[in-house]
Amino acid sequence: MSAFSPAGLLALSGALLSIGLFGILTRRNFILLLISIEIAINAAVLNFVYFAAFAGATGGLTGQAIAVVVIGLAATEVAVGLAIVLALNRLRGSINVAEAATLKF
Amino acid sequence: MILEELAFLAIAVVAVVTALLALLTRELVHTIIWIALFFVDLSALYFLLQAPFLGVLQLGVYAGAVTILLLFGVMVTRKRIFSREAATGIGPGPIVLAGLTLTFLALGSEELPQNGVVVHAYDPTLLSQTLFNADGPWLLLLGLVMLSALAGAIYLVREGRE
Repeated sequence: MSAFSPAGLLALSGALLSIGLFGILTRRNFILLLISIEIAINAAVLNFVYFAAFAGATGGLTGQAIAVVVIGLAATEVAVGLAIVLALNRLRGSINVAEAATLKF
Repeated sequence: MILEELAFLAIAVVAVVTALLALLTRELVHTIIWIALFFVDLSALYFLLQAPFLGVLQLGVYAGAVTILLLFGVMVTRKRIFSREAATGIGPGPIVLAGLTLTFLALGSEELPQNGVVVHAYDPTLLSQTLFNADGPWLLLLGLVMLSALAGAIYLVREGRE
């Protein structure tokens, strides 16, 4: 049993979300883009875990159950993202997202 | 009590520093190492928040599988694995946007309860009951999504595409 201040916990996930957003907006390498998305998703999962902890076992463990589902979805997303990386590398010879502009108008 | 606060502070600092280093370092392989440290650090936070099942899941899925997948992606797409990234300029836009997000979150934090919230340990049986009884369809849906993602990934990388 231990006590935590909610503001500190939420500040951590807010900071991680900002870092992920920063990476998504500035990086041009597809793998770095995937990593930024993972950081942002982890910030969201942290929030679910906090509020499940605040509600306690009597308040239900729905937050932790959702966190389990989100972690699985994020792992799936990385697998599909890497398939896109491989296809992009074969088609363009580079994984720079700025060069994959065929659909851009 | 004070010990947990200190542990949380240390974990939070390590998480922010490793996430930033992962995005700012120029070597992609170093990025993978920092992001693995970030995932291990978050699993320590889950253990601290009395969510041991999620901590183990984070270690297995993120620090294990996702890190290896990302490393595999780096190895396949590079001629030399330790080649450096080209520098990308950081315009003022992203920094302003990240700053605005942080300000917005800081403003909202005044609404939160200011005193500490007590976190109790729980019986892991309860989590499995939540997962498999009430939210059973969610796990089934997750399995279906994973299956279709597998099919999609195979479609994307199959031979014979232009």
